[in-house]
This record gives sequence, structure tokens and C-alpha cells, in this order.
Amino acid sequence: MAAVLGKASAPVREWTGEITANRTIMGDSYLVTFTMPEGLAQHIEPGHFVNVLPSGAGSFDPLLRRPYSIYGIDAAANTMTLLIRPYGRGGQWIVDQQPGQSLNVLGILGNHYEVAPRSSHLLMVAGGVGAAPLKMLSEQAVAQGKSVVYLLGARREDQLLDASELPHAVEYIVATEDGSAGHKGFVTELAANYLTWADQIFTCGPTPMMAALRNVILQHRFGKGPQVQISVERTMACGVGACLGCVVETKKGMKASCVDGPVFDMESVVWG
Amino acid sequence: MSTQTRASLQVDLAPHNPRELILRNPVIPASGCFGYGQEYSHVIDVQRLGAFCSKGITSQPRAGNPMPRITETPAGMLNAIGLQNPGIDAFIKKYPPIWEHWDVPAIVNFSADTVEEFAEMARKLDDVPGVAALEVNISCPNIHAGGFCFGWDARMSADVSRAVREATTLPVIIKLSPGAVDIAEIAAAVAEQGVDAISLINTLVGMSIDPVTRRSRIANTTGGLSGPAVKPVAVRQVYQVAQAVDIPIIGLGGIFGLNDALEFFMAGATAIEMGTVCFSHPVAPIQLIDDLQTWLDAQGCASIMDIVGVANPQFRAGKDS
Repeated sequence: MAAVLGKASAPVREWTGEITANRTIMGDSYLVTFTMPEGLAQHIEPGHFVNVLPSGAGSFDPLLRRPYSIYGIDAAANTMTLLIRPYGRGGQWIVDQQPGQSLNVLGILGNHYEVAPRSSHLLMVAGGVGAAPLKMLSEQAVAQGKSVVYLLGARREDQLLDASELPHAVEYIVATEDGSAGHKGFVTELAANYLTWADQIFTCGPTPMMAALRNVILQHRFGKGPQVQISVERTMACGVGACLGCVVETKKGMKASCVDGPVFDMESVVWG
Repeated sequence: MSTQTRASLQVDLAPHNPRELILRNPVIPASGCFGYGQEYSHVIDVQRLGAFCSKGITSQPRAGNPMPRITETPAGMLNAIGLQNPGIDAFIKKYPPIWEHWDVPAIVNFSADTVEEFAEMARKLDDVPGVAALEVNISCPNIHAGGFCFGWDARMSADVSRAVREATTLPVIIKLSPGAVDIAEIAAAVAEQGVDAISLINTLVGMSIDPVTRRSRIANTTGGLSGPAVKPVAVRQVYQVAQAVDIPIIGLGGIFGLNDALEFFMAGATAIEMGTVCFSHPVAPIQLIDDLQTWLDAQGCASIMDIVGVANPQFRAGKDS
């Protein structure tokens, strides 16, 4: 039985943030930090995302905002950090912006991961830049005294998240496709070891990775097994449920990943 | 002492209809880009808009097309959402009761597979409180004409317009398809049926292929092109239609800001809709209302109507309103 996750409910603003830091991470990705309006930080939960305009004022190209899960916030400094791997022109434009320059941001968008109060063992399964929302979730969980195992998969060692990015209390285990660090193979192969330990599983990454994780879970789990929450990535336009361009097929029909997601119960989704 | 009076932004989109469609300003978010209004009501002050057009509804519920449904193109986007909507009956129960308490007029956009179905839907919407006007999407296939698009044929466009006109006394706006060979001919045929206004353009049918997958980037293969890329086509068609009809025109297609909107007004549009821009800049419609006011005041205009059609020597549309 799939758990019902909440819909988007955080306040949504369009704002211009000033970039305060921009550094490379995970080999070919960037951590971009920028200011946000007063009063937003308190509404941000792990799994929330923002839509960033990938072009300057007066430019129509690229046209559509790019969605990014929130990697972290600094409530004292009132800043937000996104983890961005530039796949195309839009992402490249964003990571090319330097401290002092500005970004046009729409947020806070989407629903968020939901940790049950009774859950004490949380398993994170991340692929690539899917690391972002699970990093924020791990920080929050550790602060609440929960045990966290964080699995991350990448193609090679230099594309992994540095351990210093995660709280010390997190058990961080990695897999690389070329075997240059940790387990040689896919991150989903590591997950099997934790299925009986975990009260809940949280995942974010490429769709094939999450589908493979589902297969591992279906093969290994017994009884009801842990509840699994996935965060999906879809091409998106509006971010607020208006255009229906980003839908996910669920057992209850087409749902907009921007307001009914991006976090879904794994078993509520129709898998091809 | 100079008492500067501010230019009036008010426009009348149904001058001959007792049920009236008088907007406090000429800025209307376009169908498909603004949900049912609610989606943006916590992002911008929706009540300041001149009106808004709902997402397109159909007589039966539709699940819409498979993913991917959208892809970005140079200064534009293609979409093939597939009219995902709850169907007219569920729609009537859910949204108009909310709009009834709103100041901003709600224009319901709808489409159908046959002329009879268009009329039936218009009849259902006729006396629904909260519905201010109808926008009829004729850029859809007529299943009784081998799937040929209603809006590409003057006779079929007129048939739909007449059927809807006879089915409701609400203000009726016919939304034209830019795929028509002679847009002025279609517009004239539509206007003859006594509808209140014409809106144009709908999206242009387009396609984008991914060289890596060697497939269309959209599951539906083709999609509707919108955004700044289509604006010159839209301005040209508004200009042509404004010479062919005397009812008000609502212009749309790639309007992002003041200068874009001015092109449409000057070509002959009495009001404008904003679509794709809502995705990139949700505040753009509200910004445009403010920018229009400032611009008209600076120009010494008494009304937005002072600039409607000024770039169009044979302009007729909405002149008598």
C-alpha cells in the first residue's frame, strides 16, 4: 500500500538572488550559492526544488527555467546552495555566473521527503547529482538523532561527493562503475545489504537507477518491507502545476511532478 | 496646476453582447499556460489581471499524451500535453465555484471533436456562475472530416462558431489556428456568425528531432510551437485579421513584455494574451499592466484604445466599440 505524500505547500516567489559562492564539486559539477528572500528558509524541507532562469535579463534563449533540488541552506546567512551538473546550454549558463552576479529564481517548489517519526534507520540511495536532496535530508535526519546510511554511485572516483560534505555521523558508502573507489559496479547493488536494516529508503537519481533499485527491493524484501520515497526528474516548464508538461504516471492517474511531486512513494508510480 | 489623468486601460471585448466582457485592463494569461488560475494565485496577484483563460477542457476527461510532452527550441518551446483535463462535468463542479468569488473574469477555453459537441459544451457552460466568457479552440481535428483541423477550413470554422453562438448568450471568442492558409478568410467567416471576438494565434505545429536517439523529442511526434520564436507570425496574422473583421481581436504569440504587446496593439489587437512567458516569468502579466500604464501616461494617451491599430492603415477590428 503506497503512502500518500503531501502536495506542494511552501510559499512561491520569483526573486533575484546574488551569487555568493560558486565552486566545482564531483568533478564536473558546481555548488552555486546565492541569496534568498527573508522568511523563505523556514519553509524549506529536503526534497524541495527551485526553478532557475538559465539566461540573463532580456534574453529569451534558453527559454525555460531549469529545476534543481536544494542541496543545502544557510538560514543564518539566508542563502541557498544548488548542486548543478551542466548537461546543456542552460545549466552551463547558470554555472558560468560568478559571485556578485545574479540568478532569477522561482521557488520554493514541489513537495518534500517525509520521514516518519518512528523511523530511526534511514537509507539514502543517490546517483550522480541525485546526491543533492539526500544530502540535505541526511543532515536533517542526523540532527534528529536518526541513523543514516548514504549510498552514492558515480562513474568514477572524481565524480563522487567528498565525504566532508556529509555529517560525520552518516555512514557513507560508495560505488563506481570503473571500480576506482568503493564497490565496483552500481550503487543499487549495495542497497541489498541494508534492506532489512532500513525503516525507510529515500532515493534520487536517473530513472534507470531508481528502477534497478526497485528490482533489488522487490527481490530481497519480505513482508511490507521499508517504505521507499523517490524523487523524479522531468523536463519541466511552469513548476507550479499549470502546464502539465512534467507528469508522472501513477496508479491514480497522471500527476504533475512539480506539485504532486517530485517526491513520490515508489509503489504509487507506474513502472514501465 | 496640471492634473495628470491616467490613461484608461479598460477594454470592451464584447461591445454588442448584453452579458458584456469589459476588462479593467487588456492583459490575459493564455489558455494552457495558467492552469485554472489557482495554480498562480499564490505566486502573483491574479485578481489584478484583465481576465485569464482556463486550461482547455473537453467533454470527456482526458489523461493527455505520454511523456515527454515538452521540449525547448530556440527562443521557444514545443508542447504536446494532449489536453489533459478532468472533463467538463468535473470541471464545472470544481473550478467555477471558486472563480465566482474572484474579481478577475474567468474565460473558459474548450475544444471538441464535432460541431455538435462544441454546441453541447457551450450549452452546459452558458449559465454556470463564475464563467465570464468562452474561448473556443478550433485548432483541433474534426473527427467527421477525417481529422482535418476545424480551424484550417473557413466553412468548418464558421459551422463551429455558429453552433456555439446559438448555444449560448455568453461572450464567445473564437481562437484561430495559425496553420490556416488564409487566416483573414477564416476570421471573416467566423465573425459573420455573430461571435463577440477573435483570439489568435494558437501554437504552430512543429517538430524537433534528437540526433542521439534519432527520434522526435516529443512522444506525440509533433507539438505546438510557442514563445518569442512565433511572435512575428502572430503579429502578421493579427494585422491581416484586423483588416478583415470589425469585432475585437485578442492577440497572442510570444509576448514577453511591453514592446511585444505594443506590436500587437498597433497591429489591431484590443487585448493580448500571454502564454509561454508565464513559465519563465510568472510576474510578467502583472509587470505588463504596470508598464502599459506608465507607457500610455508618458505618451499622453487617454486610453489604450488610442494605440489599437495605429500601425494598420486598413484596420477595422473593434473600431466601433
